[in-house]
Amino acid sequence: MRASWAETIMGFAVLAFAALMLTYALGVSGLKHSSGTYEVSARFGEAGGIQPGAKVTVSGVKVGAVSDVTIDPKTYLAVMHLSLTKDVKLPSDSTAKITSDGLLGGAHIALTPGGAEDDLKPGGEINNTQGAVDLFGLIGQFIRPQSGSSAASSADGAAKAPAPAAPKASSDLPEM
Amino acid sequence: MTQTPMTTNAKIAWTGITKRFGAQVVLDGLDLAVAPGRSLALLGRSGQGKSVTIKLALGLMKPDAGQVLLDGVDVTRQSEAERRASFRGIGMLFQGGALFDSLPVWENVAFRLINADGIGRREARERAVEALALVKLAPDVADRYPSELSGGMQKRAGLARAIVGTPSLLFFDEPTTGLDPITAGAINELIRDRVTSLGCTAVSITHDMASARTIADELAMLDNGRIVWRGRADELDDADHPLVRAFVTGKSME
Amino acid sequence: MGLFSTNPVAALGRAALEGIAAIGRVGLFAARGISAALSPPWYPRQILAQFASVGFLSLPVVGLTAWFTGAALALNIYSGGDRFNAETVLPQIVALGITRELGPVLAALMLAGRVASAMASEIGAMRATEQVDAMVTLSTDPRRYLIAPRLIAATLSLPLLTLITDIIGVAGGMQVSNYLIDLSPSIYITNTMDFLTAWDVESGLIKSAVFGFIIGLMGCFHGDNAKGGARGVGRATTSAMVSAAVLILASDYLLTSVFALK
Repeated sequence: MRASWAETIMGFAVLAFAALMLTYALGVSGLKHSSGTYEVSARFGEAGGIQPGAKVTVSGVKVGAVSDVTIDPKTYLAVMHLSLTKDVKLPSDSTAKITSDGLLGGAHIALTPGGAEDDLKPGGEINNTQGAVDLFGLIGQFIRPQSGSSAASSADGAAKAPAPAAPKASSDLPEM
Repeated sequence: MTQTPMTTNAKIAWTGITKRFGAQVVLDGLDLAVAPGRSLALLGRSGQGKSVTIKLALGLMKPDAGQVLLDGVDVTRQSEAERRASFRGIGMLFQGGALFDSLPVWENVAFRLINADGIGRREARERAVEALALVKLAPDVADRYPSELSGGMQKRAGLARAIVGTPSLLFFDEPTTGLDPITAGAINELIRDRVTSLGCTAVSITHDMASARTIADELAMLDNGRIVWRGRADELDDADHPLVRAFVTGKSME
Repeated sequence: MGLFSTNPVAALGRAALEGIAAIGRVGLFAARGISAALSPPWYPRQILAQFASVGFLSLPVVGLTAWFTGAALALNIYSGGDRFNAETVLPQIVALGITRELGPVLAALMLAGRVASAMASEIGAMRATEQVDAMVTLSTDPRRYLIAPRLIAATLSLPLLTLITDIIGVAGGMQVSNYLIDLSPSIYITNTMDFLTAWDVESGLIKSAVFGFIIGLMGCFHGDNAKGGARGVGRATTSAMVSAAVLILASDYLLTSVFALK
């Protein structure tokens, strides 16, 4: 109750340090973008670990975040709702692809701008999508290229490297 | 010698109180009553249950049998809230003073006013300083902490805390223990003075005969869980009970 | 000696019964403390004073602990984690470790040492010098004046301290990564913030509220039951600290498993 001045000053110093750190963190991590965003959606055959909050990038730069992940009950496709910063206008034929930073790294959505004249409207949908790569399927094929893979790798034979064939096995491009 | 249970109009009365700690019987059918406005000193050897007697009256302990009647109401059966309300008319001076050492002296004295009676801090402080003046402590003592006071000053502050709510019943637990004879004498005078001017009933525990003669109108000797002798202060020197004689002369009984 | 002189089965039974009785006493004490904390009258000055001594004055020790823990964790992941490329996700592991586990537990253990022992010795000394009895005679309920403010302050200030621990722990990891392995602070922070979910932090805060209650409860319970003068107060201080620490770790496991199954 009768605390000394030194203790009081130390307490405030710790609080100040924490406040400084928090301000820095919030500044760096881009909450500054949150002022103006627009929503678009994209359908994927495989959500592959994407959760609300995952980042959305263009050429490796963060431009937004996944706001919600739902399932389309008719087509069984995963519907991603993306919240993008207003500064970045994307052509309507842009491509969305689920990818990950590293073996264990966080999954995110990478957008590749297309060449169309008109831009994606708020509430619009990205039609060109590529779902998550089934990492364990990929590894499995790499280890045992022949066994068990009936459709994907048998067509071109064992001479070709199995790795390029893998995305075909696990990615579905919705055509509807 | 005779134990006349004046329980009907007594301020406080213990009737048929038995209290055990494990196998040891401390109080064994204790009967004791104090009339309104009288000051009683409870004498007895160490470990004879004097403190227990007072703690039972304060509800800090529960008896195994018997009743403690405060103004005719049995306090041993009261709920905690009822008992707290009945404490408004009671003041207690503990043996070591029992001042709260985290609070300055004035907040100690005003503790009941602030925390139980909901009186504002400014007014409570004024009344605390008045009470301190009554026990002959200067106003500058108010802002000191109990650890900065001498033993005698702590006792005075404890007395101020006991009398600040103008109680009708006061308890003193060995008020002069640990004090030099001069300070002890001053405390005794102060207690006598306060009890008389408040016109309240007082029960004191002591084994200091000088203290008992100054504070009390009546004396009672507690031994083996019962009152074995009771009389006026001036009857003390003529008492024929061996234990009382031993107390008066200060000699061992054997 | 009792164990040898009497039937060993009886001794075992007696020990078990005493254990159950002790749990019952703590439970009853906790229930009364909670009901006192949740119903008026409250003593705002006491609650504030406890917030200052439990929360604010614990900031330096908790802050230092957090920084060093974050820094050491980052170093360990860098030097030991390269066996499976874990250093690529260093910020994420530090963030997860601090927010979910180390922040709440270490802050709680520091407070068990600093606060639970102080509460036990203060209340124990007040019992020994009859200050608690004196409070009753002054028409004030010690459960409301002494126990409730401590329970409230400990339960509410530990989550706030844990929040500070989380922030400073990440700062420790960030600064070490910057100086020793040249990882830029902005990349470190971006990775941390993108990775962390609200639940990582929230689950840590829920845990720390429980830990805070345990600290307040053990401090008050052992202080209130201190017997036998200075020696008893000393014993109460030690048992408050030890029992708080053990209960914190045990309840940490229980709560984490509840959260994991959620």
